[in-house]
Amino acid sequence: MRLITHNMLSCNIKGVTNGFPLRIEAGNVIEKEVDFNPDFIRHMFAKLEWKALVEGARSMGYAELPEDSPDAAVLESDESFLKKLHHALLELHLEEGALVCPKTGRKFPVNKGIPNMLLHEDEV
Amino acid sequence: MKAALAPSSLTSLSYRTNSSSFRSSLLFRSPSSSASMTTTTTRGNVAVAAAATSTEALRKGIAEFYNETSGLWEEIWGDHMHHGFYDPDSSVQLSDSGHREAQIRMIEESLRFAGVTTDEEEEKNIKKIVDVGCGIGGSSRYLASKFGAESIGITLSPVQANRANDLAAAQSLAHKVSFQVADALDQPFEDGKFDLVWSMESGEHMPDKAKFVNELVRVVAPGGRIIIVTWCHRNLSAGEKALQPWEQNLLDKICKTFYLPAWCSTDDYVHLLQSHSLQDIKCADWSENVAPFWPAVIRTALTWKGLVSLLRSGMKSIKGALTMPLMIEGYKKGVIKFGIITCRKPL
Repeated sequence: MRLITHNMLSCNIKGVTNGFPLRIEAGNVIEKEVDFNPDFIRHMFAKLEWKALVEGARSMGYAELPEDSPDAAVLESDESFLKKLHHALLELHLEEGALVCPKTGRKFPVNKGIPNMLLHEDEV
Repeated sequence: MKAALAPSSLTSLSYRTNSSSFRSSLLFRSPSSSASMTTTTTRGNVAVAAAATSTEALRKGIAEFYNETSGLWEEIWGDHMHHGFYDPDSSVQLSDSGHREAQIRMIEESLRFAGVTTDEEEEKNIKKIVDVGCGIGGSSRYLASKFGAESIGITLSPVQANRANDLAAAQSLAHKVSFQVADALDQPFEDGKFDLVWSMESGEHMPDKAKFVNELVRVVAPGGRIIIVTWCHRNLSAGEKALQPWEQNLLDKICKTFYLPAWCSTDDYVHLLQSHSLQDIKCADWSENVAPFWPAVIRTALTWKGLVSLLRSGMKSIKGALTMPLMIEGYKKGVIKFGIITCRKPL
């Protein structure tokens, strides 16, 4: 699971009103290189939940992203920032671990890079 | 909303769980809360209320079915697990590649019908797509590639999710698409995240159509589109309370092997969408455009390669193959319809 996906996932257990973002318990994180496409990264930036991304990256061992979401100007001019964003979003893979609901502590397992978000009967 | 799915418009289904220690037949009635479903024996005596296990059993059945059959399908038909779209009355015997092209055409015709590809502005605005019931990711990869967008697929089958990811990596699309194991009836996303909500032949598996539509509507972004392409039963005529018994029997047999819990009609979907404040609700009957598909699938199953692969795959695949002529019968007799229903969420 990459952080670009993690940025979209939330916990929908019945009664949980703010199940985003899921906390990451990193078991096994690997890095896989992906071609750098600055336009794609710029496009994605607009819809990112920044805090969730920064925290998620830290959980996966990457602390290079700034705490605060940068201005649009930085996106245009600063290629090294774009590369850091690219690395965090696309090149870090959580292979084994868990995603944890921020409200209930319920763990959603991640195996072979695939999160299992199925809810149990008593959670719907 | 519930009125649109009154027991009359859903076929009831006898469904045996795979549990070896007991057999129970479950009648799926109007899908209100699962707690109110009761089980009855085939003789109609009320037995134990096993509502919770029925949904779990269905989910498990679907997952196992696709865990077992996906590889086989992919080997013979490729990575799109849906009908091809053909010109009506095309009697030309198509080659394998002709059928694959038809599967791509199905995607393009669906987008066109929904008004997505007829509007350049709209196309550019598609940044996030959810593929509900994504199979091994054929649609996700195609759509992500076409729109330069990010696509997230959900499936009940871990085998499919794995394969989908592998294929994405092989096609250098791993940065644009991702796949998770999740339930279409409880999608792990916040509200209004997706510009395009895509359900290509997965609606058939949903035991609760109202809940399914609720989720699709919840996760689509304002201004975004929902596209549902699905197997339905024919619309009931005015005054008709249910399908004819012979029609229900036919569908029941298909349901068992393909893990379909309930059939509804295109009209039912339209009514469900109308109950939310959605715009531009459209539907069409594409049954004539998919007619060559099942005969072609049967032909491939009867080849030497097909038969060997079937035998290797297991009972679910074999049973599935044996059920295919019933699909043809269903279409021929006007019971089964291939429908598309689309709409747009207001800004």
